[in-house]
Amino acid sequence: MRNKFDEQLENLNLELIKMGALCEDAITASMRALLDGDNDMIIKTTEIEKEIDDKERYIEALCMKLLLKQQPVASDLRLISSALKMISDMERIGDQAADIAEITKFIKNNNTKSILHIKDMADAAIKMVTDSIDSYVKKDLALAKYVMQYDDVVDKLFSEVRKELIVLVYQNQRYGELCLDILMIAKYLERIGDHAVNIAEWVEYSITGNHKSYED
Amino acid sequence: MTKRIFWHIFVVAVIVLVASVAMIVGALYEYYSSQYISQLKNEAVYISQGMEENNNYLKNLHNKTDNTRITWINSSGAVLYDNTADAAKMENHSNREEFVEAMTSGQGESIRYSKTLSEDTIYYATKLSNGTVLRVSSTKHSLLALVYGMLRYIILILLCAIALSAFLAYSVSKRIVRPLNELDFDYPEEAVTYEELSPMLARISKQNKQIHAQMAELERKQHEFSTIIENMKEGLLIVDKKTDILSYNTSAINLLGASESVKNKSALTLNRSGSFRKAIELSLSGQHNEQTMFYGGRTYKLMSNPVYEKAQVVGAIIIIMDVSEKEEREKLRREFTANVSHELKTPLTSISGYAEIIKNGIAKPEDTKNFAANIYEESQRLIMLIEDIIKLSQLDENTTLFEKQEVNLADIAESVCARLKPEADKKRVSIELDAQKLSVSGVYKILDEMVYNLVDNAIKYNIDGGRVKVKIENNNTGVMLSVEDSGIGIAADEADRVFERFYRVDKSHSKEITGTGLGLSIVKHAAIYHDAKISLSSKLGAGTKVSIQFKQV
Repeated sequence: MRNKFDEQLENLNLELIKMGALCEDAITASMRALLDGDNDMIIKTTEIEKEIDDKERYIEALCMKLLLKQQPVASDLRLISSALKMISDMERIGDQAADIAEITKFIKNNNTKSILHIKDMADAAIKMVTDSIDSYVKKDLALAKYVMQYDDVVDKLFSEVRKELIVLVYQNQRYGELCLDILMIAKYLERIGDHAVNIAEWVEYSITGNHKSYED
Repeated sequence: MTKRIFWHIFVVAVIVLVASVAMIVGALYEYYSSQYISQLKNEAVYISQGMEENNNYLKNLHNKTDNTRITWINSSGAVLYDNTADAAKMENHSNREEFVEAMTSGQGESIRYSKTLSEDTIYYATKLSNGTVLRVSSTKHSLLALVYGMLRYIILILLCAIALSAFLAYSVSKRIVRPLNELDFDYPEEAVTYEELSPMLARISKQNKQIHAQMAELERKQHEFSTIIENMKEGLLIVDKKTDILSYNTSAINLLGASESVKNKSALTLNRSGSFRKAIELSLSGQHNEQTMFYGGRTYKLMSNPVYEKAQVVGAIIIIMDVSEKEEREKLRREFTANVSHELKTPLTSISGYAEIIKNGIAKPEDTKNFAANIYEESQRLIMLIEDIIKLSQLDENTTLFEKQEVNLADIAESVCARLKPEADKKRVSIELDAQKLSVSGVYKILDEMVYNLVDNAIKYNIDGGRVKVKIENNNTGVMLSVEDSGIGIAADEADRVFERFYRVDKSHSKEITGTGLGLSIVKHAAIYHDAKISLSSKLGAGTKVSIQFKQV
């Protein structure tokens, strides 16, 4: 009986890793669509996003089954409940990647975006997601904390991009539409960073039993 | 086994014990009964003798016996005397068994059981000379009562005996089993034990040896296998159906950048990039596949094969190869081919263009000469290019089996400077030769080509009125040839690339400065051919210095 339970937990772990990997793929693809102007990547991003949604439902069902049939306690329970929370963050990351790809459709090939800090921001967001998934895979508390702190970098880059866009619009009103689109993308990236932090927090919870929101 | 032997011995002992106690009690009782009866007979004889001599014998005897009942009966069965009851009230005894017997045969006996008292009453009757009958009777305990009376002792004895037999059974069974327990199965033939066991032990010993041999063989094979996979440069991963890693080698861990032991963990914890996932997924669904994976700035090739057992996929074998260098070389090769075709095509296009004009008669006769000159120039350029390519590929292939000999570098430098003098004069570049008479082991033709290209470049990429300094000296490590110019110089980020084929600092491949872009590439290969080290130092706008350091012979 317990053996089966362990096996199912293992399976849950594996599915979470796969879902995390899909999230990484989704952002990477959407960023390639934006920065390299690769239109195939827009379609690919939406495909991955659908796959992420399926994965979320699958993992949710798996967690429910585990909770009902095995009645886990202590760290097992924490793992499953944090998995339930993590998948909704991952799903949001997937959605936002798809949103970025959607906006990219309307951005005509323009070199302006390459001079902005949007690429740095994308790199930072991807790094955060990768690290948060890594912290889960390796059960690495230090890495999870690092992700939480790294959010500041993305936030700083966001305000930097914002400032750059303001200057750009001020100089040339032609760029108005583009700047708004890029601002949206920057905001999405900033949100992705926040979701990565959430994931890291749930990783911390599953390891230590402490969650930021429960403190104080 | 000890337990079993113990119980067997114990049960047997107890059964034997109980049986013998029962038999002894029975036998004793028999003996005791017969003793009792004969005693009673004797009594009867004594009393009858007494009565024959003295009529008052019975009266005198009255109340002097307690256990024996004496009854005197006349021939008709009426009781004349009884020492325990009133004779007058007693019933007629004529039909009593012992009386009847006595009347007929002179004496008689009978035993009557009293159920309630669990006693037997033994009667003995004897006929006196006067025709009356004297009956003596006595009660004795029945067997049951006897046993009952002795029960305490019997139980006590039984308990003692059982305890003793338990103890003995225990120690005996221990002793029987001890040699078996002490058997050393590693060396069964040395054990001193029951001879009944020796065939089995011999067999065990034989099988032991067999197992040891097989284990050693297995170990050897395992070792062989792990040595092979450990020494593979390629990473090897074996995963099961659940993607858990069953086996891996160090290369796989290094290539995938894992830090600790990964056995029994999912392969996806090592790497979860798309192509890696796809490789595992496809092979677990039974398809052999190859994937290219980019990870950490390097290119890997993944070869993934399903593992079948009884026509079912049970896992996958993944081989990971670092193909970064190969990819790089492929890229260079593709670039080279593209460049060669481009470089060859450019002069040919001009040649074909001029020729077409002349063919169609569009050119004026006075221009024809000019066009012909152009065609000549372009074809010269083409020849030069092809020659360069041939030289390069010869150096590349290392097929030029020229014999190496002592070559005086100073002579070469002098001859090259002399040949290039007109070119230098055109640009008003002064050539300064500072050559010691030093020789290296090498091929004259290649070395000449090398020095020529270097000096030629130094002149071509020089400023008007600049200077070129050719120096040959012997330093600590060997002969060094250096060509220094006061030319336009090369930017630091391009310094590494100038040795690449067709790489020209001037991207437009302009004809302002003629050249194939292969010169320095030839120099580099020539240096490699002579096992010499090439180094380049340059400053944009200040000049370039190329040094070739030959090894000490």
